[in-house]
Amino acid sequence: MIEFDEARPRRPYESVVPLINVVFLLLVFFLLAGTLQPTDDIDVDLPVGQVDDKRASEDVILYVEADGFVYLGETVMSADLAPYMLRKFLDEKGVFDVSIKADEKAPAHELIKLMEGLRNVGVREVNLVTEQSE
Amino acid sequence: MFDAPVHKKRIVSLTPLIDVVFLLLIFFMLASSFLQTQSIAVLTPAPNPEEVETDRHVVEVWIMNDGSFRLDGDPVTPDMLADGIRRNLGGDPEAVVSILAEKQAAVQPLISAMEAARNAGAQSIGTSRVEALR
Repeated sequence: MIEFDEARPRRPYESVVPLINVVFLLLVFFLLAGTLQPTDDIDVDLPVGQVDDKRASEDVILYVEADGFVYLGETVMSADLAPYMLRKFLDEKGVFDVSIKADEKAPAHELIKLMEGLRNVGVREVNLVTEQSE
Repeated sequence: MFDAPVHKKRIVSLTPLIDVVFLLLIFFMLASSFLQTQSIAVLTPAPNPEEVETDRHVVEVWIMNDGSFRLDGDPVTPDMLADGIRRNLGGDPEAVVSILAEKQAAVQPLISAMEAARNAGAQSIGTSRVEALR
């Protein structure tokens, strides 16, 4: 008498549990390791540096683009005039803590002009933001 | 009278969970930033020459158009700048480091010079712009 094999068991589905483990791991990694901060509208390549004064304020951030123009939010200004346009803004907000994110290729003259102008409107110290060098 | 309906025990589907976890993963991957920034606090330069005290010992750092440094007129490599400034300061706590940037100089050498002066132990650092040095 011929004996037939019984119907072979169906191939089980690939388990998704290891996949979920890995994805959870990645999720937790990005949650812990990354810092959430508002992205900059203006793309600047920050200069590298080592000194950290740990006084970076996020109150007022001025951007100096590689072509020397100064941005505050969505306003574009020239470095000569920026402090005078800022005077009202600074008075209203009552801040004298200004951070400058300057592009590493921006002309140093424009940055110095901007700082001279800021002194004229009463800002005695600025924070120049740099990127950590290895 | 009636048979109790037979409930087949079903496994809860994992697919919606995976969808949400993937979504969160992609959000945190895109939104988090790993860029470490820091800032250096700098006094804004005085635009009027009257504010500058002239009776102090001054160490001059020149930033040439090509981004090279000169210390009191002598060419110096970026690595040796901090040591050179420290030597020229001669331990004088009142001494001033004056950083002069030429017209075409960029921000990166300016920041490097400021940090070198800081590392050399200078108490007061001034920046100014000049059209051309010799």
